[in-house]
Amino acid sequence: MKEKRKGPISRAAGLAEGVAATVRRMQREREPRVLVYDPAGYARLVQPEARGHERIMAIADEMVAGLEGHES
Amino acid sequence: MSILTTMADTLTPERAADSLCELSADVRAAVLLDAAGSLAGAGGDGSEHARALGELARQLFEEVDRATRDWDTEPPEQVEVQVPGGAVFASRTPRWTLAAVAKRGALSSLTLYDLRAVLAELEGGPPIRRSRSADEGPAGPATEEFAAEELPMPELGE
Repeated sequence: MKEKRKGPISRAAGLAEGVAATVRRMQREREPRVLVYDPAGYARLVQPEARGHERIMAIADEMVAGLEGHES
Repeated sequence: MSILTTMADTLTPERAADSLCELSADVRAAVLLDAAGSLAGAGGDGSEHARALGELARQLFEEVDRATRDWDTEPPEQVEVQVPGGAVFASRTPRWTLAAVAKRGALSSLTLYDLRAVLAELEGGPPIRRSRSADEGPAGPATEEFAAEELPMPELGE
């Protein structure tokens, strides 16, 4: 159970921890990766060393790069 | 009158990719492919590169199928690829494949949901209802029948 924070400094520290955790999660979500989802919605990671991973990343890179000229 | 309205609202393959771009603010470009892998529609920034984008989307699922061939799961229905410059999301049904290039940091769950929703509408599912403010008034006629359709009450067991 999470300990209840008392006092303004403790509460500010709690807020900072929350923000840091959010930033870490967002960074993690943006890391290069390939995820596939089955019809039930379950996600599975295609491991970087797996067959085809490199090619999938290259195709996605090309799709994104093709729009670079339109970057606003 | 209502028949005409329904027909006008029906999502066509040509409009599906554009509809996704309107629905999801993070999607920069989208393409729709038919079951044969041919381009059926395009939307967003990449309209002039649609053919190339469509070909890459087709290759993407080919590679995904190759990579997951030995897995003891059903063939993937959706794919998410995060790359340094952005993200690519793709979703497929037996008839259609919808692929989107999204901004970096696009929320995966929301984008994938939007892809599924557009494909479901294309497959004849109910049209996606966009939220509207209370000032704009109700989406349909203010009748009891319409309200009952909008908010179906669960049947209680006896």
